[in-house]
Amino acid sequence: MISGVDPDDELVRRAGEGDSAAVQALVARKLRRVLALAERMLGDASEAEDVAQETFFKVWRNAPRWRPGAAKFDTWLHRVTLNLCYDRLRRRREKPTADLPDTPDPGPGPDRGLMAAAVGERVRVAMQGLPPRQREAIVLCHYQELGNIEAAALMGVSVEALESLLSRGRRALKAALADLRGLD
Amino acid sequence: MTEERFLQLASAYGADLARWPEPERAAAAAVLASRPDIAVAVLAAERDLEAALARYAPADASPALRHRIIGDAPHRRAARRGWRWLAGAGLGLGLAASCAAGVAAGFSFAPHSVAHLFGGPRGGDDLSSLADPFGDAANG
Repeated sequence: MISGVDPDDELVRRAGEGDSAAVQALVARKLRRVLALAERMLGDASEAEDVAQETFFKVWRNAPRWRPGAAKFDTWLHRVTLNLCYDRLRRRREKPTADLPDTPDPGPGPDRGLMAAAVGERVRVAMQGLPPRQREAIVLCHYQELGNIEAAALMGVSVEALESLLSRGRRALKAALADLRGLD
Repeated sequence: MTEERFLQLASAYGADLARWPEPERAAAAAVLASRPDIAVAVLAAERDLEAALARYAPADASPALRHRIIGDAPHRRAARRGWRWLAGAGLGLGLAASCAAGVAAGFSFAPHSVAHLFGGPRGGDDLSSLADPFGDAANG
């Protein structure tokens, strides 16, 4: 059970009744968040779009049965998205690496005029180099801005274990991106 | 708060104290005030990382994706109530007169069926399955 009122409950209920305005409002509120989560977990924009569409398909299918108070909708949405991402990561692991998204050359250093997009690409590659659980911890806490208790519950680990995953992930990223110091 | 705990929190949550666990922020601020050298040495490295992380911003959803997602949603017909009333009337008349046409009308006037969307088992939506998707959390 969750405490307090879930700001998404009413929209989910109406979407479950087939209310078109609620459907559009829910997409406007959540799609960007779902897409960013999937893209940072998978490192591939096209796959992330597929995951986002599958996630919302599950939302529409489950919305009529949504039980307010049983869980926070945003947390449920993250879980569904992550499950779909892990399905794909698992399939990648079972297949030859030919199916992995391209990992381009990191490119020049900042002193040679690295553009913001190129830095973003460096970060994407570095994120994909992390073990999935470390990546998940960083995506949930840093990018999705979930609280540590919510993120730990979502990952099924203790807060201490979450902090360990975060620390190891951030340490690895700092090492991989060491040449980008002083961007701001 | 010990310096060791401060360093643990910085390495996990980064340079912005607003992202640290709320119950520990005040103590962390006290450490910062008493040891400003830590702010320079430790938090600066975290800020550098966060400046890089901020550059990784996935593109917004395309209109085509939005269209597909909204198209997947169940849609209630605009005149649903009116059609329901007509459907009921049709069914009533059909039943009263044992009229097959009335029964057919009752079905055809029913709200747009979304049974194919809602009828399946939850399956992969089981949220308890996420705890350790690869079974190797300890190695993550």
